[in-house]
Amino acid sequence: MRRSSLVLRVLVVAYVGALLALPLGFVFQQAFSHGWVQLWAALHDHAMDLAIVLTAKVAILAVPLNVLFGVGVSLWIVRRPSRVSRVLDVVIDVPLALSPIIVGLVLELAYAQNGWFGSAFAAMGLRVMFSYPAIVLASVFVSLPLVSRQVIPLLREVGDHQEQTAATLGAKPTRIFFTITMRSIAWAAAYGVTLTLARVIGEYGAVLIVSGNIALITQTLTLNIGANFDNFNSYQGFVGALLLALVSVLVLTVIGVSRHRLERKRHGSFV
Amino acid sequence: MAVSYNGVTKSFRGRLVLDGISDVVNEGELTALLGPSGSGKSTLLKIIAGLIPLDSGRVSLAGKDVTNTPARDRHIGFCFQDYAPFRHLSLRENVAYGLKVQHVARAQRREQVDELLRLVRLEEFAEQYPHQLSGGQRQRMALARALAIKPDVLLLDEPFAALDAQVRAELRSWVHSLQQELGITTILVTHDQVEAMEIADRLVILNAGKIEQAGRPSFVYDHPATEFVASFLGPITSLGGISYRPHELELVSTNEPGETLEVREVVRLGFEVRVILGEGEGPTTWVQLTHDQAKHLNPRVGERFGVRVRSLKSSSSQSSPTRESTR
Amino acid sequence: MRPLDDPRTYLAKGVAIGYLSLLVLIPMAALLNNAFSHGLGAFWSAATSTESLDALKLTVACSLFAALFNAAAGTATAYVLVRDRFLGRGVLNAIIDLPFALPTVVAGVTFYTLYGPHSPFHLNITGTWVGITVAIMFVTLPFSVRAVQPVLESLTIDAEDAAATLGASPWRVFRTVTLPAILPSLLTGTGLAFARALGEYGSVVFISNNLPYHSEVSSSYVYSLVSQGNDSGAAAVALFLLVGALAVLITTNVVARRLALRRG
Repeated sequence: MRRSSLVLRVLVVAYVGALLALPLGFVFQQAFSHGWVQLWAALHDHAMDLAIVLTAKVAILAVPLNVLFGVGVSLWIVRRPSRVSRVLDVVIDVPLALSPIIVGLVLELAYAQNGWFGSAFAAMGLRVMFSYPAIVLASVFVSLPLVSRQVIPLLREVGDHQEQTAATLGAKPTRIFFTITMRSIAWAAAYGVTLTLARVIGEYGAVLIVSGNIALITQTLTLNIGANFDNFNSYQGFVGALLLALVSVLVLTVIGVSRHRLERKRHGSFV
Repeated sequence: MAVSYNGVTKSFRGRLVLDGISDVVNEGELTALLGPSGSGKSTLLKIIAGLIPLDSGRVSLAGKDVTNTPARDRHIGFCFQDYAPFRHLSLRENVAYGLKVQHVARAQRREQVDELLRLVRLEEFAEQYPHQLSGGQRQRMALARALAIKPDVLLLDEPFAALDAQVRAELRSWVHSLQQELGITTILVTHDQVEAMEIADRLVILNAGKIEQAGRPSFVYDHPATEFVASFLGPITSLGGISYRPHELELVSTNEPGETLEVREVVRLGFEVRVILGEGEGPTTWVQLTHDQAKHLNPRVGERFGVRVRSLKSSSSQSSPTRESTR
Repeated sequence: MRPLDDPRTYLAKGVAIGYLSLLVLIPMAALLNNAFSHGLGAFWSAATSTESLDALKLTVACSLFAALFNAAAGTATAYVLVRDRFLGRGVLNAIIDLPFALPTVVAGVTFYTLYGPHSPFHLNITGTWVGITVAIMFVTLPFSVRAVQPVLESLTIDAEDAAATLGASPWRVFRTVTLPAILPSLLTGTGLAFARALGEYGSVVFISNNLPYHSEVSSSYVYSLVSQGNDSGAAAVALFLLVGALAVLITTNVVARRLALRRG
């Protein structure tokens, strides 16, 4: 095996270390800078705790919605291709090219009281903007393609012969889905779900616009961190950041493991 | 169980793949669907299995119309060319899949799976996973899995194509004897005419979505209905504008009456020798000799020989001209 | 009925299209509608106002610099990850995805504290293009690395070895054998990184100080227009930015595909 030079290796480790690892470590250093007692108290900050609850509530709805949609659309695009599904394949990637700020803006334009849907919802006595539904909408929007982008290539690679064989053996579609399809795409789906979760928990710009950023009411954890920072309470901000950093380390672990499993699947000894 | 299909038509994105074809496969027979790639043979097999819908036409099993019956209710065993092993299941679980679907009790299921594994000689691999098996073993696993539901009909899509030559020959005769032992109606798709001739009771030759000819292998070989069938089933050569099989011709001394040609090339292929002859710029003729005949005649490049149709007694097949050449 | 069709699939397809329409298609149509609600002239003057153009220039310059720098740094990182075996390689490989996992706002506040007025290194780059670029570099690094890495992995070392035995220097081997192979995916990855950078907000907004005409990026400008209740102005600038990002994505994809085709 050809090796890169030691100089290159040192340069790369230094760059990645300074750009990525240093900030991550710095979050931990800042959060612990005032000692355990202070940290414990900061963790019980009322506004932050409410923000954590809201973020959890958003994730609990947004992630399953996108997983359901992502897997379903992937099956449609790969297993039942049609003109409609080909259009879908392109549209579904649109959120990736959009600035979070633009996502927030378009949702506001459609769902504000004077917007296209907003007026209809308002007539029904529902307020979408600056409330929980709007935050869910924004979270779902920004993370829309993350599951299908992982699942689609794997579905293509695995092919439909296993599913068809199961059908000739008498299995009904639901059974085929759970015993064959789901088992082949499990790791890709896990990877996609983790990316989705990370994106939903971490979204800032889009949620900033659609939630109205009202403390104690529509403030998610990311918004709470930003607000603490803007109010010169950076220590409290870093305590929130610590929680998100811990989640991101967990996310990285899951991503690393599922990618490893996926690669093993790809390079398996199959002809 | 007899299989019949009538006027089966299918096109993919405007390209006609099957053009209104009909045939009847008799109970207990092994039929080979033979044709070049793109002839529609695999599509036909999947239509019989109910894996893809047809545009028009009907499919019947034992006289019962199943055109609109989903694959899961047709009771047909199907093996893909790539064997489609369930990668996440062990060999035993693969074979047991169909029985589980039918809610066969655990003890009974275990017994039946054991028996099937014995039948395909894979008992000691029961707990292995597909990626730990060889191609031939995976093929036998796929067969056991299909047989587990005691299908009325067995459909095999290019079952031996992905195997190397030696394993292929072994498995071919094994599948043949298994099929005869079980007496199960079988349709096998292949592009290999030798394979089809060796194990099939009946050949159905497909080309460009149409059946060119159907019948017993030896009959089809000797009496090809079309130019396509003749050339697809084996080599043909021409002499005096008429097509023959190379082994239907023989070399004789120039003293005998008739046309003589000059030897251009002699190719020795083990037990047979291929002699290519010609005259000037004219078409060449290919004569197939056995090793002994070649030793006796000892043809050399530049020598001249008389070429004529072998007499009846020295040829196993009828040596009437195959057909007028279209030239 | 065709044997393979289940009525439930039609229902599922309808739900999927409805979901996508409510979420993406109709809001995007609302954007178009708002951008042109006061006519084409109003759209153009809003999109090309001095503040908008200044923000756009700054955004494009910083994004371009970061994307190009990371094209090089990302390739080097992928090269080291694929070709080297050393202690900590697994951690290095895992941490590349950090920008996908760590919320942008956390990166934003961290960079502000690290390189702001109270910097532990006494290094204040807030409100400068350097600060903005560093934040964007953080966000975009994984795009280049993950685009190049699989191609490098699939590249047989034989070709490189063959070139090396012919006496080519390592740099020459890289330039003549490795680089042409990774170029299409490198281009796609860099295009994706650039498009992402154009719209970046959370990681940039703290370190940039958001000074109009000076250190305000386009997404920040759109946000300030939204905050002022200027929906049609925000829509106009957003549309301008969006079309730019899509153009970059499409161009890099087309060029990358051509390059890949030429290689056969």
